[in-house]
Amino acid sequence: MPRLNSAANLESLRQQLLDSNKGKRVVAVTNGTDGRTRHSEIVFRALNDEIKKQRLEGKLAVKSTGCHGFCEQEPTVLIMPEEICYVGVKPEDVPEIVSQTLAKGKVVERLLYEDPTSGERITKESEIPFYKSQDRTVLGNNRFIDMGRIGDYIALGGYSALARVLSGMRPQQVIDEVKRSGLRGRGGAGFPTGVKWEFCRKAPGEPKYVIVNCDEGDPGAYMDRSLTEGNPHSVLEGLLIGAYAIGASEGYIYVRAEYPLAVDNVEMAIKQAEEYGLLGNNILGSGFNLKVHVHRGAGAFVCGEETALIASLEGRIGEPRQRPPFPATSGLWGKPTNINNVETWANVPLIINKGADWFRSLGTEKSKGTKIFSLVGKLKNTGLVEAPMGMTLGDIVFNIGGGIPDGKKFKAVQTGGPSGGVIPESLLDTPVDYEELDKLGAIMGSGGMIVMDEDTCLVDVARYFLNFLAEESCGRCVPCREGIYQMLKILDRICEGNGREGDIELLEEIAETVRDFSLCALGKTAANPVLSTIKYFRDEYEEHIKYKRCPAMVCNEIIFTPCKYNCPVKTDVPAFIAHIARGEYREAFDVIRAPNPLPISCGYICHHPCEDRCRSLETGGESISIKALKRFAGDYVLKNGFKPLPKPEVPALEKVAIVGSGPAGLAAAFDLACLGYQPTVFEASSVVGGNLTMVIPDYRLPRSIIELEIDCIKKAGVNILTNTPVGPDLTLDDLFDQGYKAILLAVGAHRSLKLDLPGVDNPGVMEAFGFLEVVKTGKKVSLGKKVGVIGGGNTAIDAARTALRIGAKEVSIIYRRTRAEMPAMKREIEAGVEEGVKIVELAAPARIITDNGKLVSVECLAMQLGEHDETGRRRPIPIPGSEFILQLDNLLLAVGEEPDLSFLPAGHGLEVSQRSTIVTDPETLATGRPGVFAAGDAVTGPSTIADSIANGKLAAVSIDKFLRGKPLVRAYSITAPSPYVEPVERTGEALEPQRFPMPCAPVAERVHNFSMVELGLSEEMARKEAFRCLRCDLRHSAIAKLSEVKVPEPVRQKTEVVRK
Amino acid sequence: MAKVSLIIDDIVVKADKGTTILEAARTAGIDIPTLCSHKDLAPYGACRLCTVEVKRGQQSQLVASCVYPVEEGIVVKTESAPVTRGRKMLLELLWARAPGIQALREYGIKYGITAAVREGMDYGMFPDISGTRTKFEIEPTFCLLCGLCVRYCNEVKRKDAIGFVGRGTEREVVFFPELAANGCSQCEDCYPLCPTGTLPLYYTLAEAQQSA
Repeated sequence: MPRLNSAANLESLRQQLLDSNKGKRVVAVTNGTDGRTRHSEIVFRALNDEIKKQRLEGKLAVKSTGCHGFCEQEPTVLIMPEEICYVGVKPEDVPEIVSQTLAKGKVVERLLYEDPTSGERITKESEIPFYKSQDRTVLGNNRFIDMGRIGDYIALGGYSALARVLSGMRPQQVIDEVKRSGLRGRGGAGFPTGVKWEFCRKAPGEPKYVIVNCDEGDPGAYMDRSLTEGNPHSVLEGLLIGAYAIGASEGYIYVRAEYPLAVDNVEMAIKQAEEYGLLGNNILGSGFNLKVHVHRGAGAFVCGEETALIASLEGRIGEPRQRPPFPATSGLWGKPTNINNVETWANVPLIINKGADWFRSLGTEKSKGTKIFSLVGKLKNTGLVEAPMGMTLGDIVFNIGGGIPDGKKFKAVQTGGPSGGVIPESLLDTPVDYEELDKLGAIMGSGGMIVMDEDTCLVDVARYFLNFLAEESCGRCVPCREGIYQMLKILDRICEGNGREGDIELLEEIAETVRDFSLCALGKTAANPVLSTIKYFRDEYEEHIKYKRCPAMVCNEIIFTPCKYNCPVKTDVPAFIAHIARGEYREAFDVIRAPNPLPISCGYICHHPCEDRCRSLETGGESISIKALKRFAGDYVLKNGFKPLPKPEVPALEKVAIVGSGPAGLAAAFDLACLGYQPTVFEASSVVGGNLTMVIPDYRLPRSIIELEIDCIKKAGVNILTNTPVGPDLTLDDLFDQGYKAILLAVGAHRSLKLDLPGVDNPGVMEAFGFLEVVKTGKKVSLGKKVGVIGGGNTAIDAARTALRIGAKEVSIIYRRTRAEMPAMKREIEAGVEEGVKIVELAAPARIITDNGKLVSVECLAMQLGEHDETGRRRPIPIPGSEFILQLDNLLLAVGEEPDLSFLPAGHGLEVSQRSTIVTDPETLATGRPGVFAAGDAVTGPSTIADSIANGKLAAVSIDKFLRGKPLVRAYSITAPSPYVEPVERTGEALEPQRFPMPCAPVAERVHNFSMVELGLSEEMARKEAFRCLRCDLRHSAIAKLSEVKVPEPVRQKTEVVRK
Repeated sequence: MAKVSLIIDDIVVKADKGTTILEAARTAGIDIPTLCSHKDLAPYGACRLCTVEVKRGQQSQLVASCVYPVEEGIVVKTESAPVTRGRKMLLELLWARAPGIQALREYGIKYGITAAVREGMDYGMFPDISGTRTKFEIEPTFCLLCGLCVRYCNEVKRKDAIGFVGRGTEREVVFFPELAANGCSQCEDCYPLCPTGTLPLYYTLAEAQQSA
């Protein structure tokens, strides 16, 4: 190749290149670092071989290109001019691509990108939602350029900006043009590039140096790498133009050694440019010289700071020094030096070619042009995104990134890498530019954007980034070295549940000093992750410090395991599952009943929040069937000889009165009895157990079980008086007079809420709660053929399924939202639907229609879902004119219940809320009247068995404190680790991602009677299901062992271990 | 030499162009606390205790006076509220590393560190700090990483027998055994520079490693 000696030479070469490729189809294979991690090299080779085999070489230009941006879909094969884009291409797909698309022009549907939202296949690259709203001014050329060919760059008009500068512009003109364009440094600080150049040009001293900063160190940011790999000549051309404008004759490209492909490509680009006379001496015959060297950085984050980078280039330790003097006056070897980031340099040729005005037309008032972001984290689409400055964060996250996968909620986005800030959802409308991000306490940085969903703990995020900075700080100045260290220590202890009051303020105090007193930008911005998370997520810090809770369930030291953490009564889930896996079913049951006075019932009807965040879900499987395993353990013990716990031997203490014998009352009574108190339960009705015995249908919980459990509670020393209502004849004062030292009101919530509906007084309309109670007592209730149920909670489902069982032919649940929003347990809804219950979604009753006093139908209104309300669900809005008629004989109302406190005589001295609940101190459950406590649904409104038990247990703790004269303060602690249970040795069998479905009675056999629907797991199923447990608890034991912390004593197993 | 005029703590100071704010202040008799500056060594800017507030018109900035060159017309406050607040924090941070050493104690009393003003405490090389209320847990290394020893050996003695190893919180001072063996025992010029007085121990450590 002869040297190019003038701009005209360059232009004629360009024409030549264009002519030789005329009419050729271009096949671009992404073969950068991203593609290579998925074997793009093999795809590229296979493609070339196949093309040769099918003799198509003459008509095609095959290119090995850098990343196009949508890295997660690579290897991508892009076919131009049709713009057909195949994603995730494997070597075996190649023959089809060649024979179909390249030979015949046919599109291979299955290789096209499939939109995860619509499921539609998209042919054209520019139509893919990820690319649609981007503006790929800088990065876009990666598609057209083979990484190893200078010709491709020249054919696109490459180096013409250099030719223009060398042949017709004075250096000052170049600087003025760049200044006028408003280009600002893309590396982080956003200093105006033209101004920087001018400083350097005017600084005395020769020679001058220009440097490309490709020391990209932010975790998750890789735009500089992709640009250097995919289009190295654009960086070189920018550098050449800058060197000419500044008057430099030597340049350095400082690349991380971890970017081997970038190093190779840029070295090759330099060699080629030198051969073409575009670099070296007498460039394009102009007399301008520039020698460029590549320097491999060893990979210190701080070397991205310009003075540290210079120190590293000079062979010294990569440590920043104080500025001033700035590198522009005293840089490399003490000479005037200009450093710009890769992306900044790559923008320069565009500005020269298209003009400053064009560049100014992009972006916001103070931030011009486009910016490349690396958009990563919890998103549907991740990759490199180039967008004009000023696009809002929300548009980037939701339009380009496609939003959060798996139906999760967006929580925050971290911009600018470890020294950036975290921005919450409420600020998603912020346009992304230097000033706006700065205002929020974040930074543009090099353009990293890490999106986090609701499962992210922001305290943990701050800890993560600070940990990174602690390792990457050079350690020279005190505020950065010691300040980060101390902040990290504080964050560590907060995440471990040892946070102290005042820690947040202390963090802020240290952060201020680190920010204001540090030597370089690393230290000055190091506090950003801490300050921004405190600013926007202070409540999360407080949850950790005060309540020892991690709402996102990330901080393992606090939550121990998600199952135990989420269990209202803190069942040692991993321990009992481990026992089941070992065949030690009795031990498993002992673990279950340790904190729970109703262990068997819970195995039947618990709403199992333990399964919600099982770690198995994170690895793509289903959660462990914890409730089913709990039931198995209970059933096993029932079948093989159940023994109640012996009565604890404790000295007899005071008498306590408990009003109500539901789960809350029973739990409190049991715990108090175990402590030695003498609890007496006053039950107004003739049966004990509250909703468990009076409402929950027999097909879910057999009465025999709850009776057995109540028997155990009695044996522990609880006295239960039935048919003894507390009321006018037995007031709270009477109870105190009888020697009870404390009273717990656990009267439940039994009064159905009224529905404001014309005609609701018709005898065909019933309250579902009362209906269930009557059926449960065995009394006959006559229903018509068609029954409607209003509501979406568990009462509604129970009522619907009970109606079917007592003879209704057609049962419909009318619900104003959709099935997905129903608060009832998912499995119960499914079972109801299996039995034939119809769900009329998005409908609300408007009017009862009667004929001769008999209910004949209900007029309903269709609804639509509007904005999210305060419960996080979308609000139903009636659609005017959408009335429709449902033929019904009976209507059951299940729109909620509230406590019925009418029994309380006047002057009871308790505060009652607007929701008819008893007002208590939520920390201690104490009412305003000394010695009177309240718990369960009477306080919380309708809830679940597990929550009620937990509430009752809390009341017992408070009553104990009260009676011992201790201050009524609730103590919070981290979730205690479960006792260690030796794991079962595995024999290499794969972990099943799916759980065992609960065996159920066939619909035909169960739908007309009250026999059990769920039959329980067999022993074999239970063992296998228990094997699926990932044993997150062992991590804790392992850490405890490592740090020589005392591990809870292993539970020694006496029973024989059944081996498989 | 061209002169620059600036105001430091309400005093008009004329200083040579190119000198630092710290030097200018000292010529005017204004004391600014420092731990890492030394008359024979190039400014280092690591301890940050000498940070002062510089006002240029309405703009205010915190800068390390030992490395910041004087500018015409700037107004310097050496003891403004943000400055003293930060200095106190820096001293608390250093106190956790080298509790009770003389240099820290003097400044500690001045800037109000509770631990420093405690009466009747024995401030030896390894003071008894039990029962002292400190902001941070004491994890003494008895090295402030001020670099006086390292820089003295490099800049004045040109021996480089002592240097820094490690990064961030791992950073520490070591005598390089092979180099230290040749001449450190005859020199020992760096010993008196050490603000904590523990430098000889570091040498002993290197000696032990060399002989091991």
